[in-house]
Amino acid sequence: MSTEIVSSEKEIQNTDPRIKLIAAKMKKENYKADALIEILHTAQNAYGYLPMNILKFITKELKLPPSRVYSTVSFYHFFSLKSKGEHTCLVCTGTACYVKGALGLLDEIEHKFSLKPGQVSADNKLGVQVARCIGACGLAPAVVLDDEVHGKLTNEMITDSINAKIK
Amino acid sequence: MQNITIYIDDKKLEVESGKTILEVCRNNNIEILTMCHLEGVLDVGACRLCLVEIEGVNKLLSACTTKVAANMVIRTSTERIKRYQRITTELLFAERNHMCSVCVANGKCELQNLGYKVEMDSIRYPRLFPQCEVDTSHSWYVLDHNRCIMCTRCVRVCSEVEGAFNWSVKNRGYQVRIISDFNTPWGESTTCTSCGKCLHACPTGALWPKAIVQGQLDKKPEIIEELMAKRKMGL
Repeated sequence: MSTEIVSSEKEIQNTDPRIKLIAAKMKKENYKADALIEILHTAQNAYGYLPMNILKFITKELKLPPSRVYSTVSFYHFFSLKSKGEHTCLVCTGTACYVKGALGLLDEIEHKFSLKPGQVSADNKLGVQVARCIGACGLAPAVVLDDEVHGKLTNEMITDSINAKIK
Repeated sequence: MQNITIYIDDKKLEVESGKTILEVCRNNNIEILTMCHLEGVLDVGACRLCLVEIEGVNKLLSACTTKVAANMVIRTSTERIKRYQRITTELLFAERNHMCSVCVANGKCELQNLGYKVEMDSIRYPRLFPQCEVDTSHSWYVLDHNRCIMCTRCVRVCSEVEGAFNWSVKNRGYQVRIISDFNTPWGESTTCTSCGKCLHACPTGALWPKAIVQGQLDKKPEIIEELMAKRKMGL
C-alpha cells in the first residue's frame, strides 16, 4: 500500500487544489476516525464523486482500515465511486411525477442523448439519475438540473434545458 | 454479580444479571439456533435465528443481543418461533447459490445442519440465483460469495481477534458482499496477515483453504474461543 499511496498522494498534491480543501477538513476534525463521513462529504462535494486515490489518501491520513472506508462509502447512496458527469440531470420518479409523465421525460432523454438512468455520457458532460421523490410534487413532473429544480416540464422543455446546460 | 429470577419455557431459573438470554440458555441446556453467534467475538444479531418471545414485548427479540432482566418470561420453542426459524432458514438458502452436493463444506456445514434441524424439505421462496464471484486470488485461501450467508463472523474475527481489519461489508440489502480492503482481490490485500482465522470462523463453505476438495473441509470454530480465553488469561 505504502509506495502506491505515497506516489498517488504526491501526484494529487502537486496537481490538484481540491486536495487542500480535504486536507484542511481533516485537520479541522483533528484526524479523528469518527469524522470519516464529514470528510467524505467534503471530498464528494469537491469532486462530484470519490476517486480511488482520494479514498486512499483519506484512509492513510485518518489511519483507518481500507475496508471500513470502502464499506462506509458503498453503504450511503450519497457517496459515489464513479463520476456522475459534469452536469447532472436528476429525474424525479415519485408518485406525482410518475403520474404526470416522468417516464416520458426519461424516454425523451434516452432518445435524444442515448442515456439511461445511472449512465454518464462518453464525454462525461451529462449524467442521468432518478430519485424516488424530491419533495416538489406541486411542480410535477420535476427534474433537478445541477441543483436547480425545473418543474412542470414537457418533453421539448427538458431537451432544451439540458442542451442549454451542456453546450 | 446480583442473581435474578427468570422463567424460560416455564422453567424457573436463578441466573446472574448482565448475561444475554443466549448465554443463559446455553448454560442450562436449552437449545437456541444461531448462525452468526461465535464464542469469542461480539454478537451482532445478524442471522435472526435466535429470536425468542418475551412476555410483554410485542416483537421477537434476538437472544444473543438481549440481556436477561428480573422476572423476564421467555419462550424459546413456540409454534411462532419455529415458523420463523423455518422461514429464516429458507431465506438464507434462497438468497445465494447453496449447492451442498458440490460444496467443500458438505457434511460439515452449519447451514446444512440448520436445514436438517428445522426439517426444511423445500424452499417456498424463489431463489435469487445472484451472479457471485469466487475470489481465488489469495495464494492459500478461497472466498466463495455463492456460499456466504453474511453472518459477518469472518469480519468480526478479523477485527476483534486478529486486529487486521481486512474484511468488511459493502453495499446494503440483497447486494451486500464481504470485501477485502478497497474491494480489491483478497490476494492483493495489504492488511490480510493470512492467519486463517476467518476460515475457521466461517459457518459455511464460503471460506476455505485451496488444498481441499468437495466435502473435505474441516472447520474448528472453537479455536477462536480457546484463543480468546488464553488471551484473557494473559498467555
